[in-house]
Amino acid sequence: MGKSLQTQLEEIKRADILIGIPSYNNVRTIGHVVRAVTAGLAKYFPGTKAVIFNSDGGSTDGTQEEVKRVQIEDFKTILTSYPVHPIHKVVNPYHGIPGKGSAFRAIFEAARFLNAKACAVVDSDLRSITPEWMDLLLTPVYREGFDYVAPLYARHKFDGTITNSIVYPLTRALYGKRVRQPIGGDFGFSGELAKFYLTKDVWETDVARFGIDIWMTTLAVAEGYQVCQSYLGAKLHDAKDPGSDLGPMFVQVVSSVYRLMADYRDSWEKVKESQPVPTFGFHYEVGLEPVPVNVGRMIHSFRLGVKDLMEIWQKALQQESARWLESIGHMSEEAFFFPQDLWVQIIYDFAIAYRNGSVHRDHLIKSMIPLYLGRVASFVRENGESSAREVEEKIEHLCVVFEEMKPYLIERWTEAEK
Amino acid sequence: MVEFVEFSGLTPAYRQAGKKLNKPKELDKPELSSRALQKKEVKDMGDVWKGAMVDSLNKFLGKVITFLPNLLAMITILIIGFLIAWVVKIILLRFLKAVHFDRASERWGLAQILSKGGMAYSPANLLSRFFYWVIVLITLILGINALEVAATQNFIARFFNYLPNLFAALLILVVGYLIAIFLGQATLIAAVNAQMETARLLGRAVRWFIIILSLTMALYHLGIAEKVIIVAFTIFFGGLILALSVAFGWGGRDLAKNFLEKLSERRAKGTEEKDQISHI
Repeated sequence: MGKSLQTQLEEIKRADILIGIPSYNNVRTIGHVVRAVTAGLAKYFPGTKAVIFNSDGGSTDGTQEEVKRVQIEDFKTILTSYPVHPIHKVVNPYHGIPGKGSAFRAIFEAARFLNAKACAVVDSDLRSITPEWMDLLLTPVYREGFDYVAPLYARHKFDGTITNSIVYPLTRALYGKRVRQPIGGDFGFSGELAKFYLTKDVWETDVARFGIDIWMTTLAVAEGYQVCQSYLGAKLHDAKDPGSDLGPMFVQVVSSVYRLMADYRDSWEKVKESQPVPTFGFHYEVGLEPVPVNVGRMIHSFRLGVKDLMEIWQKALQQESARWLESIGHMSEEAFFFPQDLWVQIIYDFAIAYRNGSVHRDHLIKSMIPLYLGRVASFVRENGESSAREVEEKIEHLCVVFEEMKPYLIERWTEAEK
Repeated sequence: MVEFVEFSGLTPAYRQAGKKLNKPKELDKPELSSRALQKKEVKDMGDVWKGAMVDSLNKFLGKVITFLPNLLAMITILIIGFLIAWVVKIILLRFLKAVHFDRASERWGLAQILSKGGMAYSPANLLSRFFYWVIVLITLILGINALEVAATQNFIARFFNYLPNLFAALLILVVGYLIAIFLGQATLIAAVNAQMETARLLGRAVRWFIIILSLTMALYHLGIAEKVIIVAFTIFFGGLILALSVAFGWGGRDLAKNFLEKLSERRAKGTEEKDQISHI
C-alpha cells in the first residue's frame, strides 16, 4: 500500500461499507456509476459510514478527476435523504500487474485497513447501474449474514457465451452451487472474506487480470462461505467492452478455472449434485437490443483449427473425440452441429491435459478458442428462433450433461494422478 | 616358456652364414664347381630368410606379450564399468520413482519441456539413462587409456580439451530446439486464431528458422568451417530476403496489389460484420 493511500485511509479511520470501482480510461461512464453508488448508499444505508474507493489502472483520459468531481448536488431530486455521514471518496492508482485483479487487490487492502463490514465492487463502464444495485449487493451481507453476493442479470440470449458454455456449467458441476453468473463483474462480499482473499498469493497469476471474478466465486463456494445471488436487471456496458478482445480474456478465465480445479480437487470430488443458492431481488423481464453474431466467421475459425491444430488437440483429447471433430469440420455451414456431450468431454479432457502439463498451458488454452467458437456457432444456429426462456432451458440441460459426465472427469483425473 | 631374444643386429645363424660367405679360402678353392657354388648360395639365403622370420616373429610375440596385460586391464575396466553403469541406472531409477521425481518435475515444468521437445522417456528414466551413459563414457575413456598407446592417449587429451566446446554446442542445440518448438507452436496457434490460412506454413517457417540458427551457432562454436557457415548463412538469408523482395516488388507487383486490395476489403467487411456479443 502506497504512503499517499495510507494517509487517506488513516484520515477516514474506519468504515462500515466500502464500494470499489476498478477503472481504466472510463471517463465516459464512471461519473454515472459514482452517482448511482452515492445515491444508493444515501438511500439504503444513510446511517452508515461509507467509502467509495476508485482503484484506477493509470487512466489518461481524466477518469480519476471525474471521480473526484462528481457529486449529487441535491439528494431530494433523487428522492433520498441526505446521508448522516459524508460519503468519502478515495482515488488510488493501484500497483502491480495491470488488470482487474490488481485493482481488486487494492480494494481488499482498503477494506481490511478500514475494517469494513460489507463491500461491493461494480464495473466502471456500466450504463445500466441504478442505486438499487447497492441494496441488492450489500444488504445480503450487511443485514442477512451472507459472505458473498454474485450478480444475476437479464442478458441477451447470445451474451455471456464463456459463462454459459464453460464457466457456469463447470463451476456448478464441480462445486455443487448454482451461481448463474460466477464471472459477472459486480459482487458483494463481507470484510472477512476480503481479508481471506488477501491471505492468498495469486497476484502474479491470471487472477490479477480477468481471472479475478471466477477466483473470488470459487474460493467463496469451495471454502464454505455463505453464498447467494441478487437479481440486478439488465447489464449494459459502454461500447468499449473488454469482452471484444476474446483471446486474452478467454485464456485468463479458463486458465483460472482449470488451476482452481487442481487447488480444490479434494473439495469437488466429493460433490455429487448441485443445489440452488438463495436469490434476492425482484425478477423482471427486460427488453434487450439484438446482438449481431457472425456465425460464418466462427465456423471458419473452427475449421481452421481442425486443419491446423489437431496435432495439439490430440495430446488432450480421446481418439474418438478427435475423429468426431474432424467429421464436424467437414459439415456444411447449414448442417453445422457441435453436440453438447462432445463439448463437455472436450472441456474435461482439456482440464486433465492442463493438470498434466503435457502441452504448454498457455498454448493449450489458446488452442481451445477455435473449439469454443465452433460450439458457440452451433449454439447460435440451434437457438436462432428460440426465446430467452428456451435458451435458458438449453443451458440448464448443458449443466445437467456436465454433472452427469462428472464421474468421467474424476476417473481420468485419478488415473492422471497415479 | 618363451625365450626372449635380444636384437643385436645379426642372429647367430646369420652371423655363421656370413662368416662362411666371407671366407676367402673357400672362394678361392678351384675344385668347387659353379653349380655347387650356386647350391650353396641358395642354402645360405634360406638360412638368412629363416633367421629374419624367426626374428620378426619373436619381436611380434614380444610386443603382444607386452601389450597383453594392458588389453586385459582394458577388458576388465570395461566389464566392471558397464556393470557399475547398469547397477547405478537401476538403483537411481528406483530411487527417483520412490521419491516421485516425475511428479515433482511436472510441477517444476521439466516434464512439459521434455514432452514439448518430443522426448519419449519420463524425467526419472531420462536422468537414470543419462548417468548410465556418463559412466559408460568414463569407462570407455579409462579403458582406452589403460592400453597405454601413445596415439590414443594423445587423442584422449585432445578430446578432454574439446569437451567444453562440445557441451556448449550441445546445449545450444537442445535449447534452440526447444525454443523452436515453443515459438513455432505459439505462431501456429496465434495465426489460426487470427484466421490466417497460411498458419501452418508460418509456424513451420518460424520453427525451422530457429533450428537452422541454433545449428549454425552450434557448428560455429565447435569451430567447424566457421567462415563457410557464416558465409552460407548470410547468403541463404540474404538471398531469401532478396528473392522475396524481388517477388513482391517486381515479379508479383500485381499479385501484391490484389492481395492488399482484398485485405483492405476484408477488413472493411470484417468491421461491419464484427460480433457484438460479450463473451463473459
